[in-house]
Amino acid sequence: MTVPAGRRITRRNMLARGITHCEIFDARGSANRTMLGTSGVTRRKVLRTLAVLGGLGIVGSMPGAASVARAQGHLANLGPEEPVESTMKRLFGGRPIGDGASSITIDLPLIAENGAVVPVTVEWSGPMAPQRYVKSIYIVSDKNRRPLNAKFNLTPAVGLAYVGTNLRLGESTDVRAVIEMNDGTLLQAKRAVKVTVGGCGG
Amino acid sequence: MADIGRVRIRIPTSIKAGDVVKVRVLVIHPMEIVERKDGKPVDKNYHFINHVVVSYLDKEIAQFETTQSISENPFFAFAVKATEPGVLRVTFLDTHGGKYEGTADIKFS
Repeated sequence: MTVPAGRRITRRNMLARGITHCEIFDARGSANRTMLGTSGVTRRKVLRTLAVLGGLGIVGSMPGAASVARAQGHLANLGPEEPVESTMKRLFGGRPIGDGASSITIDLPLIAENGAVVPVTVEWSGPMAPQRYVKSIYIVSDKNRRPLNAKFNLTPAVGLAYVGTNLRLGESTDVRAVIEMNDGTLLQAKRAVKVTVGGCGG
Repeated sequence: MADIGRVRIRIPTSIKAGDVVKVRVLVIHPMEIVERKDGKPVDKNYHFINHVVVSYLDKEIAQFETTQSISENPFFAFAVKATEPGVLRVTFLDTHGGKYEGTADIKFS
């Protein structure tokens, strides 16, 4: 039932791209201490040395692809910090959004103890037929700095318009689900959640 | 502990042909959030998963565009209509060019 990962970026590759061991494992300090015990040579030191050696060799060889990939996480690609009304306008223009309260079920806790991990599921009660199906489900959190959390693009092969994920919420907010059908029809539903400790850092 | 890129896929143990099954998938990843300095966002290449591709029987059936406002070690749930036995593959792509993949065999019993 559970399966190991297929391909993945190795530590050496990540170091070559400028991501040091510290950035990866800072939140889980224990990873540093497991391998080399009490010898005094830490993983961190060994990997830093490897990074210097590795970075010299690997980075030079594929500048084009690497630089395009590197740009993706920059602020310019993240979308603006904006109020939810602007996000909705940007995503849907002035298109009418119908009330989906009777057909969209949003599962969301009433109170979230930890804003960094708020589970949510969205399900649309209709069938996924080849002629009429849910093409996209948008999850938007009104009070987040960048309200769009995720966009799920589906096809009839999924069999059911059902998605779930864990959200990071900065503060108590409405979480809304906007469903876009393949013919362009939009439906929306929303639920409120109280967040005790915000999950978006500063 | 776990490395970045480790993928876990959970599907129900007994599936019959034609069932719509709910799949749960998780990948280990920091999902870096925007840092703020003096109230202004710091510009750097934040490391987070921004794309997820789900394929079944070698056809893409779903694709997610994700942001930093998805929790660390992102979890996703979605449905698949199990028409034939075959491989369900979930691929995660991140902003640093990382590509992490996991597969699950859909078998009928």
